[in-house]
Formats: sequence, structure tokens, C-alpha cells
Amino acid sequence: MTDAATQPLAPAATAALEFDRVCYTYEQAANPAIRDITFRVEPGERLGILGPNGAGKTTLVRIALGLIAPTSGSVRVFGELPAQARAQRWIGYLPQRSRAELAFPLSVRQVVAMPATARLAPWKRPSPEGRAAVERALHLTGCEEFAASPIGRISGGQFQRTMIARALAAQPRILILDEPTIGIDVTGQQRFAEMLSHVQAELGITVVVVTHDLRTVAAGCDRVACLHRSLHAHVSPEGLTPAVLAEVFRHEVEGIFGDVHIDAHRATECRDPAHHPDHTHPHDHAHAPRTADQSEGGTRAHD
Amino acid sequence: MHTIDYLFGPNAAVFWPPVLVGLLVATLCAALSPLVVLRRMSFIGQGVSHAAFGGVGIALALGLGARGPGDWTILAVVAIACACAALGIAALTDRRGVSADTAIGIVLVAAMALGFILIQHAAQAARTSGSRPPIGVESVLFGSMLGVNTADVALAAIIAVIVTFTLWWRRRSMLFWAFDEVGAISCGVSAALERTALLLLLALAIVITMRLAGVVLATALLVLPGATALACSTRYSRVVAISLAAGIAGVVAGIVLSFELDWPSGPSIVVAEVALYALARGARSMLPAPGA
Repeated sequence: MTDAATQPLAPAATAALEFDRVCYTYEQAANPAIRDITFRVEPGERLGILGPNGAGKTTLVRIALGLIAPTSGSVRVFGELPAQARAQRWIGYLPQRSRAELAFPLSVRQVVAMPATARLAPWKRPSPEGRAAVERALHLTGCEEFAASPIGRISGGQFQRTMIARALAAQPRILILDEPTIGIDVTGQQRFAEMLSHVQAELGITVVVVTHDLRTVAAGCDRVACLHRSLHAHVSPEGLTPAVLAEVFRHEVEGIFGDVHIDAHRATECRDPAHHPDHTHPHDHAHAPRTADQSEGGTRAHD
Repeated sequence: MHTIDYLFGPNAAVFWPPVLVGLLVATLCAALSPLVVLRRMSFIGQGVSHAAFGGVGIALALGLGARGPGDWTILAVVAIACACAALGIAALTDRRGVSADTAIGIVLVAAMALGFILIQHAAQAARTSGSRPPIGVESVLFGSMLGVNTADVALAAIIAVIVTFTLWWRRRSMLFWAFDEVGAISCGVSAALERTALLLLLALAIVITMRLAGVVLATALLVLPGATALACSTRYSRVVAISLAAGIAGVVAGIVLSFELDWPSGPSIVVAEVALYALARGARSMLPAPGA
């Protein structure tokens, strides 16, 4: 995805997802959960939104899905309001794992077919096209081999792939993934990133990954936005220098990146005032892409 | 064999209605049971069924129920009380930030206290005026086959049709919602609609089940068939089929026990359902795990 990062997609007439000065304040809360969020995701792009717990990630996802309306500002999904886009099944959503009831006596294939059949008239059987979409989603995500297994008896990584397949089976135009790699080991995360790249290459679908995990956004996202109440940076994964991370998240660095080691000396060296050539934004703290050498020297992730 | 004497003897007309109500109740409760168990609504069912006790008390306080516990006016008040309790529990849990078990605990004890006071008050009033004694607390709590008549059979049939038809009509969206509420909402399924529909079906089921098994034991019929079926299979369609079979078998066995040993109907049915559940769990621990 390095090529995509350095040669971003040309802006389309209609953005896949567009936030324009979005603020949201919960009832009786003193401060806004998110404020002045502006960004645009082009069709076919993969955006990573990185932020620690309490940064407003869930609020942002709920607004993008149209589950809550922003206090101010506007949101469009392919030019429509999020609730309308959701009603037209343009949005595929991967919730955090803990929400599903794994005791259900359902096979992986049945779970994947759920969105495609949920709003079908009760007397109608799924169409051949709908069944083909389910099989294609199972194939693309590598779920075919365990499609007959009960949903409660597959691994965490397999479950996340199943959830992606379920989202894809409804043939959405944009996928919103909420903490997709939580609870998955490093190998599983790697496989997950590869699968996502494969899906995107095959379908050309837009993907938004919202996570607190640096590795998840670093693996394959075209761009990364750092969220901490407001969007602080808008850079390619290579631009996530220790300096950027330290500056954007300040005190939260340990909380969010855990054991990622920040080399203060190298971090200072990485500072680059030049804006990223594309996707300029009022809040950008954009930085030139970092080299692989800098990447290895500046951060060290312990697995 | 008392069972054969009762069902094919000269008094058959007295014994067939409770048997038919039992079979209909078994069917509608067993159809709901897998969702109740999987969605962890057993305790909500308990709260809703105890609200029926409060409903009986309110009906008596209003001077209803002249024709005994099967009077349709009592059942109407009970249905409203159960529906209010179900929706009240859901609203408390959803919007007021009260945990589900606290909400159910509050509704359950409030309904029991209110019901007991009002039923006792009605009994005292009846004694004072020398009129016919009102409904006994025991028959409301534990159910009774005596007094179950053809009107109850008709009501049970109507409720069974409503419950099974609604479950069939909404089977895909309700299962999706029950499995993964957030995922279902993101696919355009209305969680509020599915939840309200299931709670109202639960309330309806309890209105007729309490005639046979009482408010204390009504939830047994909503929980045990599903729990038994889930111990037997990991395929949803089979779970529903086994739940129906277990529900009907338990009710038939319970009624036979009741006839043969002169046990009260509600507890007999519960004993039979628990025995089936124990049998299923025992069989599962001895056999290899059920496959997909």
C-alpha cells in the first residue's frame, strides 16, 4: 500500500464519507466528545483513524452510521445522510467483537447471510444473486473452509473475518471497521490486514478503520487521521513519526501505544514542517513520509 | 390408568380443555423459548409473569372476575399488566440507565406486593358481604387445571396463532437482532421494533400459560424447552424443532403425572420439563459434542 500512500486517489466528485466541521456533545456533558472534525474519504480509499480510549472514536463511528446526529456540522455518505445510506445498505459495519452472542446455534454461513436476508419478505427465499454474494464474501475473506462451523467454535481471527464477510454479503459501498483487531494476536492481525487488502483490491470498496492500535492502521491504510477529540493529523502511515505521535497524543502516548518505544532524539529529527502534498486540512500536522529506516529506528513494537 | 378414564370417560368434556390448552401453551412457549434463552430474557420472563399476579389483584379491585379466574376481563387486565411490565422493564433498562436485573427485581416485587394486598382485600370484602369467595392466591401462583374451559382453549389457540405467525414473519430480522443488536441496527433492522415485538409476545404467552402453570412456574415453559434444545444441537432450525418436541413432551408427561398421581398441574409439568432438560444434559455429557 506504499504506492497508494504516496500517490493518493484523485478527489472524486462525491466523497465516500465526508465530515464537515462535525461536533458532538453528549447530554449533560461539559465538553464535546468530538469537535470540529473535518475529513473526506475518497471512494476506494482506506483511511485509518487512530486514537486512544475516550478520544471520541465510538462517537465518530455512531455519527458516521447515522445512529446519532451531530450537534453541529454535517456528514455525508456518498452524498446522502448517514441514516439514508444505512437504509440503502451502503454501509457495511464491523462492530467490536464483544457485542455478538456467541452461544447462538448458527453456522458461519448463516451469520454471513444475515444482512442479505434480514429485510427480505418472510415468504421469499434468498435470491440466487443474494446467495452468490454470500458465497463470494465467504471466498474473499477466506471463510469458506470453516463456513459450516458453529459461530461459537471459531478463533478470534476467524470470527473477525466472518464479520467482514457478513458486512460484504450485503454488498455495501463503504466498510466501517470498529477496532477490528482487538483481541487478535499479531499473526492474526497480519492475516487480517492482508485479507482486507485483498478484499479492497477485488471490490474497490472504501474502508474506514477506527482503532487504538498503531499496528492496525500502519498495515495497509492509505492515510491515517489521529483523533483526540479533534483530528490532529492527516498523514500517511509512513508519516506517523514518533514526533507526530508524541505531539498529537502527548500524555496519552503510553496509554494508546502501550509498549511502542519513542526515541526522543530520533523523534526530533523526524520533525518536518512540510505539509503532506495531498488532503490538506485545517488541523493538519502533516509530515513527509518517513523512510523504512526511520520507522525501524524511531519505534519498536514488542509483541 | 386414570388418564384414559379421565379423557375417554363420561367426564371427558371437563378434562380435554386443560389438555388442549396445555398442548397449545407448550407449542407457543417452546417456539419462543430458544430466543428467550439465547437473548438471556429468562429473568425478564420471570418479572413479566409476576406482573400477572399484580394484574389479577387490580382486576379484582376493579370488581372484575365474576366468572372466576378464567373470566376474560381478568385476562384482559392481566395482559395489559404483563405488557406494561415488559415494556416498563425495557424502558427502565434502555433509557434510565438501570441495570436489567434491578429493573426486573423492582417490577417483580412491586407486582407481587400489590397483587397480594389487592387479592386479600377482595377476599375480605367477599367474606364481609357473604358472597362467593374470589380467586384463590394459590391457583394464581401455581395454576390449576380445574376451571380451564373451552373459552380458554379458544384464547390459547388465538395466542398460539399470533405468536407463531409473528415469529415466522419476523424470523430473520428478530434472529439477527437477537444475535447481534449493533450489527443488525447497522443493517437497517429496527432494534426497538424487534425488542418490543418479542416482549409483547412474551407477555401474551404468559397470560395463557399462567392459567395452567401459575405465575411462578409460567417462565419454566419459556425457558426449559429452549435450554433442553440448546443442549442437543448447534443448528438453529434443529434447536427450534427440538424445543417444540421437548415443550410438548414435557406438558403431556406433566399432565399424565398430574392425572395419575393427583399432583397439581403446574408443578407436574415443570418437573417433567426439568427431567427432560436433565436427560438432555446427561446425554450430551456422555455423547460426543453435537456437530454442526
